[in-house]
Amino acid sequence: MRTLRILFAKELNAVLTSPIGYTVAAVFLLVLGYTFSLTLFATKVANLQYIFHQMYVLSILLVPVLTMRSFAEERRSETLELLLTAPVREVSIVLAKYAATLTLVLGMFAASLVYAAILDRYGEPDWGPIYAGYLALALHASLLVAVGLLMSSLTENQVVAAALSIGTFLMLWFADSVSYLLVPPFDSVAINLSLIGHFKPMVSGSVFLSDIGYYISASMLALFITAWGLTQR
Amino acid sequence: MTISPSDVAPHGVSARSVDVPAISAINVSKRYGRVAALDRLTLDVRAGEVFGLLGPNGSGKTTFMRLLAGYLLPSAGGLTVAGRDVVSESLAVRRRIGYVPESAPLYPYMRVGEFLIFMARLRGLPEGEIAAAVERVVERLALSAVLHKPTRTLSRGYRQRTALAQALIHEPDILILDEPTNGLDPRQIIEMRELIRSFAGRHTVLMSSHILSEVEKTADRVAVLLNGRLLGVRAVADTPNLEQWFLSLT
Repeated sequence: MRTLRILFAKELNAVLTSPIGYTVAAVFLLVLGYTFSLTLFATKVANLQYIFHQMYVLSILLVPVLTMRSFAEERRSETLELLLTAPVREVSIVLAKYAATLTLVLGMFAASLVYAAILDRYGEPDWGPIYAGYLALALHASLLVAVGLLMSSLTENQVVAAALSIGTFLMLWFADSVSYLLVPPFDSVAINLSLIGHFKPMVSGSVFLSDIGYYISASMLALFITAWGLTQR
Repeated sequence: MTISPSDVAPHGVSARSVDVPAISAINVSKRYGRVAALDRLTLDVRAGEVFGLLGPNGSGKTTFMRLLAGYLLPSAGGLTVAGRDVVSESLAVRRRIGYVPESAPLYPYMRVGEFLIFMARLRGLPEGEIAAAVERVVERLALSAVLHKPTRTLSRGYRQRTALAQALIHEPDILILDEPTNGLDPRQIIEMRELIRSFAGRHTVLMSSHILSEVEKTADRVAVLLNGRLLGVRAVADTPNLEQWFLSLT
């Protein structure tokens, strides 16, 4: 546990001393603020569903920028050699990177709580879908960060890592579109792989264990493969 | 063999490490598909000696060091460090070694002091001992002038020293130094050589170089590698003309 704490502090330090984290956060909040204002003035409806969908899309585009460095940069600069020759388990290295990046992403999401506060101040929002929406976003972020780390662990080129991540996220997003071409049971597999298919019900306020299970199991699988990949050397 | 805690040989080298070779490789191979980076290497390194690996680039020196450090896993053969298997007792082995890769990698966003504290923590030093450990290596490697500088601003010489300091911070039994004089100017090379010699007895040192004179001036024994194969091992003191011996092998 101590090792995990030490590595987490180091990873958080890396995230906070890099301009990438601040740039991504600034772009994210700027676009979100713009969208929120437009939506609110146009519809005058006190709900955050549109914003949640905006955050879903923005995170698919921006999380790869945050995760691309994680392993690719360590591999390129050979500092990964320092970590892997220290008395540290590979899983601790992976979990520390995951936790640090997820902290930053959740921090960015948390900044959007101000919109919920504005709605509460000037309207009467339905809080159920808002709570469910934030739960969906947290699970969505977990999956994106885990898969982003996996992609970063496959290469020493950051741009390649980011491209692989965005490609994977887009494929997952539209996975259900291919289902009509497939025969059973593969069509159900494609439908159930879909990111948006699990996200949509939750932001509408319908929380299903199957959706939560999808995000958690996919995140754990990606983290497991990343840690396993590090042991194969 | 039973060893009591007080059963300690001169220079702080434990009796266990005197009896058991500090490093023992038996028929160790590392293959990448059909290519053998290391081919059935059998070698012993004695506790407390400075052992040099000599060979051109691509001869397998770095691969062997990475296997010892636990960064790579052998494809075949037995490899032990301080009597412990590098595969099945990997964490225990990593606790007992200090490793400096050829490029002396450092985290660019850390200051030298921060980096040493981080590595000390990572190596499992108790919090109460870290300040003293950092102070000790800073003094030993003359790093006080750059202690508060970001590592990205360091000269090659200071980079190498800082990398060496992190490898020494937990007082390892075995130091593995991959091309420690690479990229240094003549004065820095002499200083590094003296530094490595000063480790003899207190630590077992395995160093690599592709420069014959470097190994000759630093090591007690030398092994020649070529294309992943061990061609010979000699004590430097018993080999008046190392150059001729090297040429006869290669």
